[in-house]
Amino acid sequence: MPVIEIDGRTIEAPAGRNVLETAEAAGIAIPHFCYHPAFAAEGSCRMCLVEVEGSPKLELACALVVRDGLKVRTGTTAVREARRSVLEFFLADHPIDCPICDKAGECTLQDYYAAYDMAESRGREPKERRDKLVRIGEKLLLDRERCVLCTRCVRFLAQTTKTRELGVVERGVHAEIATFPGELIRSADSGNLVDLCPVGAITSTDFRFKTRPWFLKHADAICNLCARGCNIFIDHHPGFYRIPGSARIYRVRPRPNDAVNGYFMCDHGRAGFVADHRTGRRERIGGNGTGAAEGAWDWDRALSVAAEKLGALRAAGKGGRIGAILHSGLTNEELGLIRSLLAAVDAGGAAFADPPDGEASGILLLADRTPNRSGASALGFETRGTDPAAVAGRSDLLLVFETNRARVPSGSAAEEALRRAPAKILFTTHETATAGFADLVLPVAAPAENRGSYTNADGRVQPFEAAVLPCLDVRPLADVLTDLARRIGERP
Amino acid sequence: MNGAALLTRGFDRPDLFRIDAYLDTGGYAALRKALTGMTPAAILAEVKAASLRGRGGAGFPAGMKWGFVPQAAGAPRYLCVNADEGEPGTFKDRFILAHTPHLMIEGIILTCYAVGIETAYVYIRGEYEMIARRLEAAVDEARARGFLGKDILESGFNLEIVVHRGAGAYICGEETALLESLEGKRGLPRLKPPFPAVIGLFGRPTVINNVETLANVPLIVQNGAAWFLEQGRPKDGGTRLFGVSGPVVRPGVYELPVGASLRDLIFTHAGGLKPGKTLKAVIPGGLSSPLLKPDEIDVALSCDAVAAAGSMLGSAGVIVIDASTPIIDLLGLVTKFYSHESCGQCTPCRIGTAWIHKIVGRIAAGEGCPADLDEILRLAENIKGRTLCPLGDAAALPILAIVRKFRAELEQGMR
Repeated sequence: MPVIEIDGRTIEAPAGRNVLETAEAAGIAIPHFCYHPAFAAEGSCRMCLVEVEGSPKLELACALVVRDGLKVRTGTTAVREARRSVLEFFLADHPIDCPICDKAGECTLQDYYAAYDMAESRGREPKERRDKLVRIGEKLLLDRERCVLCTRCVRFLAQTTKTRELGVVERGVHAEIATFPGELIRSADSGNLVDLCPVGAITSTDFRFKTRPWFLKHADAICNLCARGCNIFIDHHPGFYRIPGSARIYRVRPRPNDAVNGYFMCDHGRAGFVADHRTGRRERIGGNGTGAAEGAWDWDRALSVAAEKLGALRAAGKGGRIGAILHSGLTNEELGLIRSLLAAVDAGGAAFADPPDGEASGILLLADRTPNRSGASALGFETRGTDPAAVAGRSDLLLVFETNRARVPSGSAAEEALRRAPAKILFTTHETATAGFADLVLPVAAPAENRGSYTNADGRVQPFEAAVLPCLDVRPLADVLTDLARRIGERP
Repeated sequence: MNGAALLTRGFDRPDLFRIDAYLDTGGYAALRKALTGMTPAAILAEVKAASLRGRGGAGFPAGMKWGFVPQAAGAPRYLCVNADEGEPGTFKDRFILAHTPHLMIEGIILTCYAVGIETAYVYIRGEYEMIARRLEAAVDEARARGFLGKDILESGFNLEIVVHRGAGAYICGEETALLESLEGKRGLPRLKPPFPAVIGLFGRPTVINNVETLANVPLIVQNGAAWFLEQGRPKDGGTRLFGVSGPVVRPGVYELPVGASLRDLIFTHAGGLKPGKTLKAVIPGGLSSPLLKPDEIDVALSCDAVAAAGSMLGSAGVIVIDASTPIIDLLGLVTKFYSHESCGQCTPCRIGTAWIHKIVGRIAAGEGCPADLDEILRLAENIKGRTLCPLGDAAALPILAIVRKFRAELEQGMR
């Protein structure tokens, strides 16, 4: 590996890596706008200029590949002056509307101004005026005055999605980002443009004016909307305690992981993950036909009832008439506990009611819209091929697990069979149709409130922790299952 | 034109642009000589030895440029002829293309033979409508006579020339923007390295030469490097076509040996300034070159000598400025041109040129102050050397020279 020197420090770097990333890995920040590790060096923003021994001009850290003996300095007067001057050029035409800008707090231009410039404005000339509210996508707005023309957005749509909806039109100081006239970005990965934009030029209508980035906490998580298992951040608001926890999730963003999702995530996951936590949740324990009023239930009583039903069938030698309807969105840990529980009561069978396959995007989104089918298979479950209707039809007691996405379809044979089954206990994150007729409805944690692991399509086991606390009666399913097992005399 | 007649050989014949007239004046003899008796390596060596400096502006030695093409990379390789003559004050390539296109075509064929190229593109300025048609006709003539196409002069060497018209952007004269434009994209300069010699047109090794540079190649092949050097300077051989514009008695194109005196060019060949006009400044090599004051024009017109005088020979477009021209007008023209022609890709050039132009506009409107001039200098220095392509320097250098050399005049009337 080539050995180079940055600011007097000797650093070893893999061949082919550029100086910017080499420095960053060593904890030496080199400011940049147009460079992004997902794309080749563009060299247009001129922010990452550094001094290289033996070179008469400043060199671009993004385009300079490491070679043995290279000596780079990032803190010299010439480098500092160059940075200040590039920032001055950007700010000369920038509206500096940070107080009303969604990006404020996580804006590269703002951060660099604080870190490298902090100069008073010397500009006496009028700023260029441009369109500030241009709809470029279903959920995307473009503010051309804030734009620094780094063209990350253009390059993402040209190189990653290959949909090419954005380009630069006009020339010189009039150059601006635009779609074709009258057309919008149709890419199903367009949410990444908001993350890629180093400033507040591209914003999302989902997030616009909802909160300020500095209020948000960022939790590591795994997206559960397809079998890819993209690594994500859950950006949530820790305050406002009267608002239920999961409703404090403002957005999710991709968390870079070269082995899974690179730097991106799809719009299906981005919108779906937040929506699943914000709407239609089931947060109270309940029962149908039990005569008990809402709120009269607590976990102790509910699990006693459940354990009694399971125990009675097992004692009668009718364990085989206990069935389960599962889904591939359950974590490995939950599936393991379910498997133990079913074995403990000599249960008959289990079937999966998963959301139907969708279309694969060829980029990140996979056809399989469940996060843990590989994990379920590894635990010995047959996720495809066993008919939920058949399992329901031959069972006296059913344990049903549902979410917003994984539901026994309304009007299906499975639902008919389920309705006719003598007893059913539902573990659900959402208010589903089954909740309307299950004997016992147990509200369980949605992914952001849960911990566990998913095994993605490539067999990669990805653990995650709870980002937010559940509210009202909601408990993590693993806790519920452990409790239940204990009540029927099992040590899971 | 006076002085040497090498590139302008045969110009007494008005039909020189026709192949028969060109053949009458000894045309395509160099090609015959090369294809029947010289190896490609021998031609390359001869051009290297001749110190043929690029005539497009940068003055880079052509032979060295050809030598950068990695022969191991295999075919195809391309030649792109830069005929996008957009530098203000420059009108010498059109002179060659209009009057002696076969000289350039012969130079293209020799160059391609030397470097192992089978397709050459001529990127010609869109405004050169008549000239482009004349060039296309000349290419057809050359093909009809067996100088282009398959198995040229039974040498086994094949070559096609494609004439491509630009659409009027100055930036497309920058060699990598030219390649992008030729590929059908926006004419934006590429980040270098990689250099075009390694990764150029359509990702293949590419030589990019100016029209006049290529027109010199037949002369070198025919007469040898030693002869060519004798015509010019030891490190800068041959003659150059100087385009003289401005209020001189005889504006036009002059072929003079490299190293001729700038003063002689203006006052002898071009007849000096028109009656009643006095010299204020000279831009020696197209608008991008820093201007020279009257006491600075005793300079030899070679790349190195003009550079030593603090300017550059560039495209040898000599613009004469007389005393009645307000310097603020010249400054305004320079800043308007470069801010208009900046491609907008990189930050200092995109914003800096427009910013300076706004300041200049304010000064021109009588609302300037001396501090504005310092501001212009500071901004121009922040553009210089920090842009993606040479356009940044091309804008900054003339601005710096004008403000520094004519500061007193610019400050007149300021409060």
